[in-house]
Amino acid sequence: MIARPGTWLAALVVLLALVCSLDAFAQGKPQLQLQLEADTIGVGDVVHVQLGAQSSDGQPTEARLELPAGLIQRGQPSTSPTQTHININGNQMDRWGLTVDWAVQAQRVGVFTIGPASVVVGGTRFAVRGATLHVVPAGQAPLRQPPQQQAPSPFPFSPFDPWKGLIPGFGGQGFPQPDLGPPQPTPQQVTTDPKLALDAPRGALYFLHATVDKTSAVVGEQVTFSIYEYDDASDPSVEVQEDHEATTADFARQPLMRMDQNEGILAGYAAIGGRTWVVKLIQRWALFPLRAGDLVIGPKNEIVARPRSAAGPRTTETLTVHVTEPPAAGRPPGYALGDVGRFSLAAQVTPRDVDQGGAVGVHVELSGTGNVPSKIATPAREGIEWLTPEVHDQLGSIGHESFGGKRSFDYVVRLRRAGDVSLGELSLPFWDPDAKKYDVARASLGTVHVKPVANAPAASAGEPEETLPGLPPPVDKLEGEPARRAHLDDVPIFWLLGVASWPVAFGLAVGATRAGKRMSRAWSARRASPAAELKERLAAADVASEGSDARQVDAAVARALEAAAMAHAGVNVRGALGGEVAARLARAGVAEGAASRIADLLRECEMARFSPEGADVASARDRWVRARGAIRDLERRP
Amino acid sequence: MKPWLFALLASLVVAVVAMADRTARADDVETPAVLFAKGAQALREGRASDAITALEELADRGTVDPAASYDRGLAYAMRVRIGAEVPGDLGRAAHGFEEARDLTHDGKLAEAASRALAVVRSEVARRRTRAGEPVEVDAGRSLSRTVSSLLAEDTWCVLAAMGSAILAIGLFVRWIARARRLRAGAGVAAGLAAPVTLLAIAMALAARHDRLEEREAVVVAHGSRPSDERGMVVPGATTLPEGARVEVVESRDTRARIRFGRLDAWVPTGAIRELARWP
Repeated sequence: MIARPGTWLAALVVLLALVCSLDAFAQGKPQLQLQLEADTIGVGDVVHVQLGAQSSDGQPTEARLELPAGLIQRGQPSTSPTQTHININGNQMDRWGLTVDWAVQAQRVGVFTIGPASVVVGGTRFAVRGATLHVVPAGQAPLRQPPQQQAPSPFPFSPFDPWKGLIPGFGGQGFPQPDLGPPQPTPQQVTTDPKLALDAPRGALYFLHATVDKTSAVVGEQVTFSIYEYDDASDPSVEVQEDHEATTADFARQPLMRMDQNEGILAGYAAIGGRTWVVKLIQRWALFPLRAGDLVIGPKNEIVARPRSAAGPRTTETLTVHVTEPPAAGRPPGYALGDVGRFSLAAQVTPRDVDQGGAVGVHVELSGTGNVPSKIATPAREGIEWLTPEVHDQLGSIGHESFGGKRSFDYVVRLRRAGDVSLGELSLPFWDPDAKKYDVARASLGTVHVKPVANAPAASAGEPEETLPGLPPPVDKLEGEPARRAHLDDVPIFWLLGVASWPVAFGLAVGATRAGKRMSRAWSARRASPAAELKERLAAADVASEGSDARQVDAAVARALEAAAMAHAGVNVRGALGGEVAARLARAGVAEGAASRIADLLRECEMARFSPEGADVASARDRWVRARGAIRDLERRP
Repeated sequence: MKPWLFALLASLVVAVVAMADRTARADDVETPAVLFAKGAQALREGRASDAITALEELADRGTVDPAASYDRGLAYAMRVRIGAEVPGDLGRAAHGFEEARDLTHDGKLAEAASRALAVVRSEVARRRTRAGEPVEVDAGRSLSRTVSSLLAEDTWCVLAAMGSAILAIGLFVRWIARARRLRAGAGVAAGLAAPVTLLAIAMALAARHDRLEEREAVVVAHGSRPSDERGMVVPGATTLPEGARVEVVESRDTRARIRFGRLDAWVPTGAIRELARWP
């Protein structure tokens, strides 16, 4: 059957539209690739999973990785965003990249699919299929090959070499490159990493910069210490003469870079102070704090000899790490300070049948990341003797980030008791810094059948002398807390009433008696005082002035004046004659007028009292009124 | 199935599951008595490490009991005896026995703890002799603490109250009496009561201070060298004997200031273990 031309044309138009739409879709989709550092690892090992995303439509963000049960993520993923903007003859070319590195630890044996992993570009999430990871028992994983220096990139686009593979003769895959040493890019060619940038260059043309991945840790927790070298990209001819290592006296130090990497690893490019710097990671150490406190990492020192314009010392920063002990709460028995990381134990006992007095071999493998302990507490039991183990280490860096590996202990265990002897369980308590909790790695040793031998050495045979002889037997019952009782001296009333009250009572009695006597004496003295007498005399004169006997009034007024002179001026004018009264008062500081008035009144009273015709009451009362005025004047005297 | 029958069966299933869960949870958390029994059982069977694990867990939970401390000391001593000694075991054994002796009100347990302590300290002394170090393991207590511990705290209190009363009455009688003999007798009584009262008050206060404030510890590290406040090793000072009882004066971060006899120095806190007291 032959179709009509119109039908073919319509089909062609539809096909073209479909192709165009697919092309458009393909342009918007980022390039994603998920890679595993190794496809087979042991239980407790950490594998790095890297997701690379490249897009020309926008910055990939929000990277996510799905992990199945049995695998856990260790720490936060390392994320490196990149941007490249190239303009060729007016044609703008933009590329955004994102590389995310997850550290994943295996917790059990099995085959797992890691992923899918996904990123968001322009509001849409794009995913890439997962990768398969085989997890085998600890220590049985094949040794990992160190990453090749010039490994081909899994990505067709490199942020450090946008021309790679595009222009023949400009490097890239398939084109041999001469060994030119560190790359010498021009500012227009490289993409700088903001994470490598600093506020200002620490030296001209060349400087050093040190970092730690954390500023607080617990004793034994890994602190990753990195030293970077910054070379001015425009002038790489720097000659360094002296080199002094950073001091880390309070830390146990393990290298995280291989011997063949002593020239450093290119970390990227940084824009600092308007210049582009080539950044190389030259040293990376896993530091394990040995004690608590503010521990100092001393600087690394170098001296630049050439060029002369930049000559001088270069040092890294002095860093401080605040180190504490893991919490005491929840600390398992047998925890040794410094056992920090993530560990697993595996043990093999051979043979399982042995004669009494014979020995079995116990092979223990301790694997994991962190400060791998150098000792394991063996289960001490009577009749079982653990000899000093032979220790083999396979420790080193794991992916430039963490330290760990495997440490094996080969024990010879002598069995002196017959029967089915349980060897017990090996356990290693440790602090997991990521989970922030204690955990215990365990390995059960099982039972060994020990055949009795008639002439086997006894449990204590061969011992020169018994250690700690004569220990008493154990007790089987808790005693319990005794009934709480208050002590006499805890009660304040005991001190007040029991001890202090007796002397206080005696003191009060003595004091009260003495005070009473003193008051009595004071009262008597007060009663005989001039003031008291004046008061009495004034009252008597008042009473007398209301009577009809003029002589009595004058006598009372005279006595009141005499008492007032005594009380207010301290002068005894009794018996003084004539001008002697005024003179005595004047000598006592009494004003002349007041003294004269008192002297006159005394004389008038004397005359009236002893006058033969007597005096009338009215004039006597008048004298009393004047006398009171004189007494008030005397009283007001300054 | 009828709805009411279904509801009844469902309720029964839920109840059984809930009870099983509750029982399982109760089994998960071991009581102090269960932990102690596990430790004591392990001790009887010669499983020193298991006994230590159980009894240390008991201590970590804050359980204070002289029997647990005593058995813990025995567990560490057993580990030494069976040749699986870990450095510090002798000190930890001494710590358990000292703690048991301090805490117990049972005369038999106190006697057993004292006997075990003597065995452990003899071993420490023997090793120090071999190493050419001073043998003195127990520096003893100061004179005032020795005197204050002669009588019970409450006895000192009663003595202080009686002395105070006699002093006051004697002075009062001497003050008011007219008869010469009576005055003399009252004066003598007051004169004797005054120093007795002062001594009793001082001893009661010292005993109270010891009870409430004093912190003591046992050296649980082998070869711990005393240092000064700056962390420099005290010149001429020998290592502290493992298992020695020391007074803790103060603690700072990872170091503690201790008194051992006439020695007043600093040691790492990990080198000593404080003696528990009744809460």
